[in-house]
Amino acid sequence: MNRIKFFITLIIFLSILMTACLPSPSNGGGKRTITVYAFSVMKESLEKEIYPAFKEKWRKEHGEEIEFTSSFAGSETVVNQIQQGVPAQIAILSIERDVTRLIQSGHVPSDWYVTAQKGIVNKTPFVILVRKGNPKGIQDFPDLAKEGVKVIHPDPVSSGGAQWSILAIYGSELLKSEKAGAKDEAKALETLKGIWKNVVSTPGSAREARTQFETGFGDALITYELEGLLMKQANAPIEVIIPKSTIFSEHPVAIVDKNVKADERPVIEAFRNYLWTDEAQKIFVKYHFRSVTNDKLNENNPEFAKIELPFTVQQFGGWDKAYPDVIEKIFRDQVQKK
Amino acid sequence: MSSVRHVRGFDIAKPLSIFTMVGVMLPLILLPLASIFIYGTSSGLDKFWQALIAPEAIFALQLSLVTSFWATLFNVIFGLFAAYVLTKYKFWGSNALTVIISLPTAIPTAVAGFSLLLLWGPYGLLGRFTDQYFHIMFTAFAIILANIFVTFPLAFGVIKPVFETMSQSLEEASATMGATRWQTFWHVTLPSLRGAIVTGALLTFARAIGEFGSTILVSGNLASRTQTAPLYIFAKFNEGQVEAANAIAIVLALFSFFIFSVLFFAQSWLDKK
Repeated sequence: MNRIKFFITLIIFLSILMTACLPSPSNGGGKRTITVYAFSVMKESLEKEIYPAFKEKWRKEHGEEIEFTSSFAGSETVVNQIQQGVPAQIAILSIERDVTRLIQSGHVPSDWYVTAQKGIVNKTPFVILVRKGNPKGIQDFPDLAKEGVKVIHPDPVSSGGAQWSILAIYGSELLKSEKAGAKDEAKALETLKGIWKNVVSTPGSAREARTQFETGFGDALITYELEGLLMKQANAPIEVIIPKSTIFSEHPVAIVDKNVKADERPVIEAFRNYLWTDEAQKIFVKYHFRSVTNDKLNENNPEFAKIELPFTVQQFGGWDKAYPDVIEKIFRDQVQKK
Repeated sequence: MSSVRHVRGFDIAKPLSIFTMVGVMLPLILLPLASIFIYGTSSGLDKFWQALIAPEAIFALQLSLVTSFWATLFNVIFGLFAAYVLTKYKFWGSNALTVIISLPTAIPTAVAGFSLLLLWGPYGLLGRFTDQYFHIMFTAFAIILANIFVTFPLAFGVIKPVFETMSQSLEEASATMGATRWQTFWHVTLPSLRGAIVTGALLTFARAIGEFGSTILVSGNLASRTQTAPLYIFAKFNEGQVEAANAIAIVLALFSFFIFSVLFFAQSWLDKK
C-alpha cells in the first residue's frame, strides 16, 4: 500500500515540476520576436551576422530589444509549412515561384516587393562540387552524365536549389549551343536525362544534400556556389568546378502578411528593408552570396568565380514560364518519367 | 531429438549461442550505437560539453522531457481506464475499440502528424473555427497531442493482459466482504497492476521522447520554441554540425539506457508484496 502512496506522491510531485519547467521561449517574454522561415543555405549569414546586426541597429534607433527565431528547410517545404499555418512572418525563399504560391494562398500580398531588385535579396551561381583531385574528371555539366559518376541532387519537389540546378543544366546547354550556332534543345534534354540517370540520392534540401556529400557519399553535387566556398573555408577535401555557362539563382524575401499584427509591422518591414542596405549586403558577400544592390561590393570577396556565359531565369522568361516549361514539361514529364 | 554432447559438464552450445547472439547484435545495434559515442566525443570532451550546454540544445531536451511526461501521464491513466472498461464489460463494438486503440502502432508517425494538422491546423476541419481563439498546432500542445497519438497503445497494451489474467475471485471476495467498487479497485486491483503500470509508463515515455516523424510536422520546428531533442538532432545533422547532433543523441541514448535499466531492475522490487 505504501508503494502506491509513494507513486501517487511521485506523480503529483513530477506534475508540479513539469508544469513549472514547461520551457518558455528563451526570450523570457516581453521582447518582441521576429519569426523567420528560410531556405536551407541562408542559415549562417542570418544567424551569425544579419540578426545580431539588425538587433543592434533597432536597439540604437528605437531603444527596444528584439529577438529572432527561425527554421530552415528546403524552399518548397517552407512554403508548405507556411500554408499549413506555421507562424512565419518573414519568408526567405530560394525561388520566386514559391512567393507566387504564397500569393495564391493569400499569405503574401500581390504587391510584395518595394525595392528596385523586385524582392530579390541576393544571388549566387550554380556550380559543381567534386572530390579533391577531381578523380572523375568533371569539367562541365555534360561530364556528370558520364558513366559511373554518382551525382547527389536535391529533390525538386521540396528544394528550390534543385530546381535552380535543373535550369542551370538545361539552360547552359541551350546557351552554349546557341553561341556555337543554333539552339539545340534535344541535346540539352539528353544531358539532363543523362545526369538524372546518374543521380544516386535526392535529399530534401540543398543543405541536406551537402551533408550527404560531406559524409563521403557520391562523386559530385550541383549546388549554390556559396555552399562550395563555405566547405572550402572549413577545409573540406573538395573542389569547386565552375561550368562554362551557368545560372545565377536569385532569392526573394517576402513578408507573410497573415502572421503580422499591426503593431509588429514597422519592425518587420524595417527588417526586410534592412536586407538591402549596404551593411546587410556586405554581410551576404562575406558569406559568399553575391550582392544584388552594388556590384562593387562583390569585389570584396576574392573567392567569387568568373562565369563565362552567365544567365538568369529571365532566359526562360521568368519563373512564370520556367516552372511549367522546364521543371514540369521537360524535367517532370520527360526526364523523371521514363 | 539430437543428443547434445556434454564433455565433463561443459556444454559447447552455451558459448556458441552467446557468441552468435552477440555477433548478430554487433553490426546491427552495438556498433551503430558505439559510433555515436565515438564520433560525439572524437573532437574532445570540451567540444562535446559545449554542444551539450548550448541554450538551444538544453531547451530542446527540456521540451522533450516535459511533453513526453504529459503524454505519458495521460496515456497511462487512459490506458488503465480503457483496459478496465474493456475487460470488465463486453459490449457491441468493444472488440473494434480494442483494435482502434492499437492502431497507432502500425500507422506511420508522419501520418499521425498530418492527421493532427488536418484536424487542428489553422485550415483544418476544426482548427479553422478554433484557431483564431487558441492555437494548438505549432505549440507545445501540438507536440503533446502527437506524442499521445503515437504512444496511445503502449500502456494499454501492457496493462490489459494483466487485467485479463487477474483472478476474478480476488475482486469477488473483496466485494462480498462489503467493499465498494472504488475500494476494490484501490486496494485489490491497483496493487496487482503496479508492475504493468510502471512498465507501460516507462515504455510510453521512452517512445515519446524519441518521437520524430509526427512532431516535425506539427511543431513548426522553431529553435528554442518548438524544437524537441530529436528535431534538434535532425536540424544539426542537416546543417553539417554532426558533433552537436551527436552530443544530444548521446544524451538520448543514455537516457533510454537508464529507462530500460530501471524497467529491468524495478520489476523485482515491484513484484514484492
